[in-house]
Parts: sequence; structure tokens; C-alpha cells
Amino acid sequence: MVGKKKGVPEWLNSPLWFSNLSDDRRSSRYETITLSPEPSSPPPAPPQPEPSPSRPRLAVAQRSEIGAHSGELSPSWSSPEEESRESQLLADFQITLSSRIINLGELRRLAFQGIPHGVRPTAWKLLLGYLPLDRTLWAHELEKKQTQYYTFKDDLLLNPSEITRRMEDSAGSKNEDLSCLSTGLLSRSNIVHGEHPLSLMKSSVWNQYFQEAEILEQIDRDVKRTHPDMDFFCGGSSLAKSNQEALRRILIIFAKLNPGIKYVQGMNEVLAPLFYVFRNDPDETNASHAEVDTFFCFVELLSMFRDNFCKQLDNSLVGIRSTIEKLSQLLKRHDEELWRQLEVTTKVNPQFYAFRWITLLLTQEFNFSDCLRIWDTLFSDPEGPQETLLRICCAMLIFVRRRLLAGDFTSNLKLLQNYPTANINHLLHVANKLRGPTVD
Amino acid sequence: MVLVLAIGDLHIPHRAPDLPAKFKSMLVPGKIQHILCTGNLCIKEVHDYLKSLSPDLHITRGEYDEDVRYPENKTLSIGQFKLGLCHGHQIVPWGDLDSLAMLQRQLDIDILVTGHTHQFKAYKHEGGVIINPGSATGAYSSMTYDVNPSFVLMDIDGLRVVVYVYELIDGEVKVDKIDFKKTATTQSAH
Repeated sequence: MVGKKKGVPEWLNSPLWFSNLSDDRRSSRYETITLSPEPSSPPPAPPQPEPSPSRPRLAVAQRSEIGAHSGELSPSWSSPEEESRESQLLADFQITLSSRIINLGELRRLAFQGIPHGVRPTAWKLLLGYLPLDRTLWAHELEKKQTQYYTFKDDLLLNPSEITRRMEDSAGSKNEDLSCLSTGLLSRSNIVHGEHPLSLMKSSVWNQYFQEAEILEQIDRDVKRTHPDMDFFCGGSSLAKSNQEALRRILIIFAKLNPGIKYVQGMNEVLAPLFYVFRNDPDETNASHAEVDTFFCFVELLSMFRDNFCKQLDNSLVGIRSTIEKLSQLLKRHDEELWRQLEVTTKVNPQFYAFRWITLLLTQEFNFSDCLRIWDTLFSDPEGPQETLLRICCAMLIFVRRRLLAGDFTSNLKLLQNYPTANINHLLHVANKLRGPTVD
Repeated sequence: MVLVLAIGDLHIPHRAPDLPAKFKSMLVPGKIQHILCTGNLCIKEVHDYLKSLSPDLHITRGEYDEDVRYPENKTLSIGQFKLGLCHGHQIVPWGDLDSLAMLQRQLDIDILVTGHTHQFKAYKHEGGVIINPGSATGAYSSMTYDVNPSFVLMDIDGLRVVVYVYELIDGEVKVDKIDFKKTATTQSAH
């Protein structure tokens, strides 16, 4: 198989052929190009989802044409050339990460090709700017962040009963143990700061608590249904429970610290891969601080895409609508025929599919391991994640252009809202080629 | 952190038309988890109103209640505490703390919520605590006309209870609180 790959002419690797399902000859030749077409079996170490039943089978896909999943630990990656490439990449990473001052450019370049599982947590922390480039500062930074997070937890996760108790203690009111009085009428004492559960005052702790109750409920619900197919998040085990609790805490603290956007549905999906990666760090100490690291990296990540979540900015120059418009323009520039087909002929408004692609950073479109791979590129690209994301979305459209060109409104919408499984490396390769001012 | 409302002796419509407006504005749905109503509502409309405040409503029968199906006593567990509910007209002498303590020992509960006297009271004895939320509408009682509208909200948090007393005095809502803890000694030894 590998030998045949070398013999295939360059033009056949162009994205135009990838969505071709009808031509038998071409597809069978294509089949020899892709490596190990069998579906990826669950890799040994962290459990990763199968191409779950919710991913609809390609309508005509009897052959796993677009199907080779490129999870890093996929044991079906049998070719020796690939294995040596993998170990070379790992070695390169380890060299880059072991230098005292890490070369960010070099790290970005390596990360672009996909980060091996073991070094991913550290690489992401560096790429997101959580860890400083100077290795010697790491311990200090981490400690600082941990203290900060625990302060947040302490301040923000209390329920009103505990808060009022603290207020009393600090007000020095002598609410001695009244159980030392064995019989008799219980004496009434004054309430502190006018705080009582039915208080309607805006400044009341209780009132604020009930106002926020709705958000907390929403967070709770969303956390419980994050990745129901993954044991890591869902399932009865205490590990899953503690993971869900951690996600919950992070989202609550984030919502309280950012009253501007609070919690928006979908943030849990953006949070999940981060937490997963950090929690599965081979280094035990790091894994134990996964919650802290995830929180700050989540803040970093969202700050890059903050404007997408702010409702008021929806129609502004920086909001989600204009981002979708940019995607549309990008598509027009690179593939006008497809653009015309989508937006003019079949009238598939990009908001119908691109909204989820962009706001959730493609977490819902691909399986979990593919999503991690895409995020490697997203974080490492020097152009910035927003631009990279748009290019990847554009590549996704071009990838299935044959089917889009042949389809009508319903079938195109259906296709784009349930994006078929694809060879991620090819997809990212195409996305890379879309860089720059002129069409490829 | 469980909020339990203790309320009763409203006597709507016979002795009072409605709850005081200031109480009504505070009692909104979504905040209270349980309601213990001592009785004497007296009509279905009041029952429906209380039901709208919280899904978990417990009522015992007062002598003027139109619905005869309410039980005489009720017991339930909330968190670490066992609570009991009884209207109180059955316990003679009315409002006598020793007789109520007898009922408390009978029901084997930590907190007894009872009414009928239309006077707020919170009393502690070896067996536990007796709480009388008074009359929420300020209706006159069999014994006196001088009644301030009052009700009680308990915040049960682990082994600690904070009892918030809401009383309408001269048109203003006054809130006080009472703290108590459950320890091993307050459990009935019998």
C-alpha cells in the first residue's frame, strides 16, 4: 500500500477527487492511497469514541473512502514509515520542549503536523500562553495559578447559608451554641445585614443566589450530557462523576467571573477536550492539577473567540454574523462555483451550518480524536485561531464539493449539518493551501 | 441548604381575606423546597396557592378546614432532621408546652411544627424543638384578637437549622432569626 502511494500522481491528490462516490475506478484507486481503510478500533490508552452511531453513514459509502481516521494512537496505523514518522515527531517535540527557553516558532511548526498524545497537554499549555516559554518559571506560575483558582473556588462556590454564617462570624455576633440551653424559650436574635432567604434586595446574597439558580441549572444539565458516549465524562463511575463535577465548577466560576457573557450553551463542549487532554497527562502531578490548568486555558481560549458568544455583538463587525460572512467570502474567493451553488442556487444560508462549526470550534462535527488533531493545528497556526478556523471550515466545504454541487437544499443542508467523517490530515492539508491572497 | 416554610392558621376567607401584601411579595415560587402547613387554611384556593409556591406541600387538619382529608399528624425527614406537623387544637391545654412535648416524643421527631394559638413560639426541651409559626394573616384566635401576622422559614443545612421569623409589626416586616444545632443529646433516648 505504501509503495503504491508513492506512485500516485500529484494531481490525483487534489481535493477535487475526495468526494467522488460514483466513479468506481477512481474510488478503487483512491482506496489504495488511503492507509488502512478499516475503521479505527478504540486505541489502548485513553478511551476514545468509535465513529459513533450518531455519525450517519455516508449514503453511498460502502468503501471507507474518506474513512481512514487518523487518531494518533490508532493501532491500525500499521505502516512502518508512518510509525517512524511518529516517533521522529515525538523525538522532535521532546527536544524542543526540553530546552530552557522554548522556541515558540519551532513548537508551532511541529504542532502543525499533529501533536503526539503524550506531549499534547504541555504543548497546548504553551501554545495557549498559559505556561511561560522559560521552563524555569513554570513551577512558580503553576503555583500562582493554583492559589488563584482555589481563592475563586472559595469565594464563588459557596451557598448563601455558608456566606451568611461567615458574615455573622466576622460581625462578631455572639451566636453561641444555643444547644447549651436545655429547656426554655429560644431567644430571637438579629439578622446580619438584613440578610434573609426571602430578601428581595438586589444586594442580598440570597437574592443573587436565586437569580443565578437558572444559570447553574443550565450548566448542570449541559455538563451531564457532555459526550454521553465517553466513559471519561459519562457513566456511573466515580471518575466520571468527579470529572463532571470539575467541569461544573469551572463553568460556574467562569460564569460568575464574566457577568458579561455568563454561561452560554455550548461552552461545555469547548471545555471538554481541554479537560480531557489535561486530565490524561502522563505526568501525574500535572494531571492532578488538571482542573486549575483547564480553567485558565479555557479562559484563554474563550478570550480568542469571546465575541462569538456575546449576544449583543451578534450583528456587529466582530460578532458571529460577520465571521460567518467572512467564511462565505473566503469560499467565494477560492471556489466561486461552489459558493454560487450553495448560496445562490440552493440557498443554503451559511448560518445554518457554520454557526455550530465556528462557535463550538468543530467539536461537534468530528469524532473526539479528530477534534483534538484539529485543535492542534488551530492553536499552532501563527495566523491565529480565528483565521485558521475559517480556513478549515472552507476546506470542509471544498472537500465535499462534488456532493454539494449535485445536491439540492435539503440534501446539502443535511450533509453539512452532519458532516461525513473525513481524513483529517488531508483536510488540514487543504486548509493550509487556502492560505494567502490568491486561489490555489 | 434546604428551605422549609412553616405557615398556617390563615382562616381565609372566614376571618381574613388574604395574606398581607408584604408577605405575598416575598413568597415567590422557586425558592422554597418544602412547605409545612399547620392547618386552618381553610379553602381549596389557599391550598392551590401554597402548592404553587412549592411542589412539596404538607398539611395537617385544622378544626375549620373544609377539606376533611388532611391527616391529624404528619412526619417527614428533611436532611438530618425529622420534622413533625400537627395543628394543635387536639392537644389540650392549647399551646401547653409540656403536652406538646409529649406529642413530640410520641412522634419521635426533632422539630415539631404546630399552630392554633396564632402566636409565634420557639421552645426547646430535651426531646427537641417546638415551633409555632403563628397566623400568617393575623386572624383572631379562639383566645385573643391581638395577633400579628407571622410565619417561619427554616434553613436546614446539615446539622444546623437557622429559623427565620417573619413578623408584620405596624405594617413593616421584621425578620429575626434563631440558630440551633442538633447534637447527640437532643435525640430522644426513649
